[in-house]
Amino acid sequence: MIKLKLLFGGFGRIGLEAIAAAVILTLTNAIVACGLMIITASKNALSQAEKIDRPDVIQIKGRFNRALFETPRRGNLSPLTLPVYEPLIAPEKLVSTASGAVILMRQSLLRNVVSADGFLNTYLFGIEPDLEQRVSHFTVGRGRFLRSDDQSAAVLDQASAEALGVGLGDHIAVRKADGLDFALTVVGVITDFELRDAPPRTIEAATLRPTARVVAGGIFVTLRSSQQIFGRATLTDALLIAPTRTDVVTLIDGLRQTFRLEPGVFVTERLSRFERKVQDFTLSLSFFSIIVAAAAALAGALVVLLLSDVYADRRQQHAILAALGFPPIRNLLILISVGLCIAAVGASVGVLMAVLVAPAQFSMPSLMADLGSVEPRLNLPVGGLAAIISMLVCAISLAPVAWRLSHQNLAAELTETRA
Amino acid sequence: MTTLAVELREISKRYQRAAHIIDALVDVSLSVEPGEFVLLVGPSGSGKTTLLNLISALDQPDHGEIFVAGVDVRELGLTAAAHFRNRCVGIVFQAYNLLPQLTAVENVLLPMVARRQVDRERALSLLDQVGLKHRAKHRPAQLSGGEQQRVAIARALANDPALIVADEPTGNLDEQSADVVIELLRRSTHERGTTCLIATHDRQLSRCADRIVGLSSGRLAALPA
Repeated sequence: MIKLKLLFGGFGRIGLEAIAAAVILTLTNAIVACGLMIITASKNALSQAEKIDRPDVIQIKGRFNRALFETPRRGNLSPLTLPVYEPLIAPEKLVSTASGAVILMRQSLLRNVVSADGFLNTYLFGIEPDLEQRVSHFTVGRGRFLRSDDQSAAVLDQASAEALGVGLGDHIAVRKADGLDFALTVVGVITDFELRDAPPRTIEAATLRPTARVVAGGIFVTLRSSQQIFGRATLTDALLIAPTRTDVVTLIDGLRQTFRLEPGVFVTERLSRFERKVQDFTLSLSFFSIIVAAAAALAGALVVLLLSDVYADRRQQHAILAALGFPPIRNLLILISVGLCIAAVGASVGVLMAVLVAPAQFSMPSLMADLGSVEPRLNLPVGGLAAIISMLVCAISLAPVAWRLSHQNLAAELTETRA
Repeated sequence: MTTLAVELREISKRYQRAAHIIDALVDVSLSVEPGEFVLLVGPSGSGKTTLLNLISALDQPDHGEIFVAGVDVRELGLTAAAHFRNRCVGIVFQAYNLLPQLTAVENVLLPMVARRQVDRERALSLLDQVGLKHRAKHRPAQLSGGEQQRVAIARALANDPALIVADEPTGNLDEQSADVVIELLRRSTHERGTTCLIATHDRQLSRCADRIVGLSSGRLAALPA
């Protein structure tokens, strides 16, 4: 009880200054925490955007400019023909243009696939398995994924496997360009996949996600197999992974130059969209950093002044306790504890207030707001920084008083007290 | 040979106030036997308070040596000086210097809190000895000047020190309260065999002292008749 009274008692009028300091510190912390929460959320959104957008990836694809017709061997598909993309992109052109970049070559064509028990009009993807897994995600439920040396292996999604009635080791047939069947052996069944820059859905077919606007089901074979099936080496699409983000612009320029005479080939990049997000983030960061810094500096200075008064008011108590035999370190601890309590109250209540008043969704009021809506959330670094700011303010206000007390002439202090 | 309670050897202390240099003490030598009740008398500014501050290790001399119960006070660091004051010296101030937020008994307990040996019964007993047990839970603001000084005396005795130094303990009190306080100091120190050094300019108190030491302009001086 005595110790508590030594800590918190005897302030008198100065007690109001201590309370004012705590209130200002609380408000400062609330503003700082709010700002930091938004900055952190924006940073997370940007990281997420970088992961999703992959600004280092360039897509090049051939337009569906001419239908190749194939009559299904089974099934009732009106008008009994299937539209397919005619591959337009010559791999050698890509290789010569995009030196230094990783090139993921693809052939994606709609095909009529038959098995012993059924048939399915579905996409057949010719991919390079090792490279494709650097940008796309596959979850193999049964069997294994494709290997680059596979000759006639196929991996298909669960829904397609069920529609065709096939399992591991079963065979499916696809008609080749020369009219002969190409037999594929099922080596794996995929339970989930995210094919980066998948083509849009064009027909109803078995798929893992029926509502998906992009192809979410199909049969994957190696590029070598698909080239045999389609009878050509040209690609329907390809992805280029630039060595660095700064190389993207050069690569795009080169690709556009190379394919300028091919009206059906389109080069798509996400760098500029991502850069707008970066700009939006920079705007958020600058704006809220200024707010946080200004709030911390202004309120901090005020709190320092108030706390300096509070500490200075304790000089009498400090001198009396020292005269009665309290060692300097214990005397100083009493002072520090007052500051720590004010800092703790300021930090904890301020952060709590920030959590309560911070918007659940926030988007920068910029014209673009490209980063979209972010979700401010309290996390350890934000809380930690608020606590550090509080401690720092208290430490700055305590430092001159502590220095003075440690060099205090007790006799003079007690004489002044008496006077 | 018995160790002297207080031994001062050619103590000098000088203060600087703006451009002026003040010789508060000049070559003061003094010895006090254990259990002695000594009055330091002299006019204001004669150096009484400075002398007591030096003996209490609240200040350091510019020259000379100070031994209290055999301890060389000049050699003590800040922490050691605090321990020394806590265990060896009980200080009574003219302005009482009680902490306003604490009750009378809590003020008496303070030196024990510093020593980490809190004994509430002893604190109440000390208050009883100074006749204030019934005021134990009162705060200083609720006590008269004489009562506050009695609480301060009880506080000075809390750790049973070998030496009590009192700087103008009756300076703010009326004559009746002053008599009570001096009698209390006299009795308390006599019962415990405590040495007592009291600085005062009240020559009326000389009747109860074992010895009277005169100070004038920072020097020991012969007492006028």
